[in-house]
Amino acid sequence: MRFEEELVELLPRLRRFARGLARDAADADDLCQAAIERALKSRSQWQQGTRLDSWMYRITRNLWIDERRAAGRRGVHAPIDEAATQIAGDGAAEVEAGTLRGDVDGAMARLPDEQREVVMLVLVEGYAYREAADILEVPIGTVTSRLARGRETLMHLLGEAA
Amino acid sequence: MSFDPATVAAFVDGELDDLTARRIEREATNDPALAAEIARHHALKTQLTAHYAPVAEEPVPERLRALLTADTAIDTSLAARREAKSARFAPIHWGAIAASLALGLALGLRPWTPAASIAEADGMIIAAGPLAEALDTQLASNQPSDAAVRIGLSFEDKAGRYCRSFESASLDGIGCHDNGRWHLERTMRGQAGADYRQASSGELAAAAAAMMASDPLGAPAERQARDKGWPRR
Repeated sequence: MRFEEELVELLPRLRRFARGLARDAADADDLCQAAIERALKSRSQWQQGTRLDSWMYRITRNLWIDERRAAGRRGVHAPIDEAATQIAGDGAAEVEAGTLRGDVDGAMARLPDEQREVVMLVLVEGYAYREAADILEVPIGTVTSRLARGRETLMHLLGEAA
Repeated sequence: MSFDPATVAAFVDGELDDLTARRIEREATNDPALAAEIARHHALKTQLTAHYAPVAEEPVPERLRALLTADTAIDTSLAARREAKSARFAPIHWGAIAASLALGLALGLRPWTPAASIAEADGMIIAAGPLAEALDTQLASNQPSDAAVRIGLSFEDKAGRYCRSFESASLDGIGCHDNGRWHLERTMRGQAGADYRQASSGELAAAAAAMMASDPLGAPAERQARDKGWPRR
């Protein structure tokens, strides 16, 4: 199958992943657009026979990180980020369990970026730990520890049996 | 519970080897705490999956799809163009023409209604009325967003004719200029406003790619061709 056709088939999933990262629907589609443009520009770097989906997810994720860093430098989102980090992870225990019952968006918003992306890749997109590690270019142990923390926070915020 | 949380999570994620997975399964039947822990993980996964699933079900916005399908139409290999030729046009083709002709005839009987968009001349289906006018004059690079007919690509076909793809409420297609008329080489039922629009645009672009002799006209070339009256080479 040709490059563009494979990408077109990938779009629904890629939009889902982008929505998880960016949360806002319009931002997510902007992110997808940037990723497609980047992919078309650097298509020579994709090696035939390797997985196009992993490559695309990596591009999307890296663009998102770049954008977050740039936004952070501009001061955009920074307050939200700090608040999120304070509540997220270990600090989440201080928030009453089940506070965000049913509010997946709200709970995901409280995860730090590096936990949210792992949660999306493994729990939503269904990637194996090894594949997620390849996409994120981190050791597999990093994937499992971030996933564990993200998971605990989500289960705590969303309440026990969902 | 003799399994650490990471192992339970790995079990739910399908990351354990078969042997360990089977041990967990067996143990869970006798260990309510372990069973509850597994259920908790399953529940989270299910909730997340269900929450994001609708995004993947939504139609992909045209602006994203166009980045890939437009490129397909513009610079593709010969093989790709050949492939595009077999796109799903044939079955719709005659039905759409028949429907539009019938409509045109009906409209033709009522002079106060807008002129029909297609007509027949020398056994060929040609553009008429507002469609012919749009094909004659409208520039893809500069058309009102609410135009009744939207011009897509303009290009030269292998016979040296100028061709233009168009979309409108009742009819989408490709017209090629020949002897002062726009011969409708491809037609399909118009999808304007419908969710199916993107599918139709993609198909039109694919059909155009199959017909074009070289790259589509850019804005200046399109304007020039129009100003000269779409002359055949």
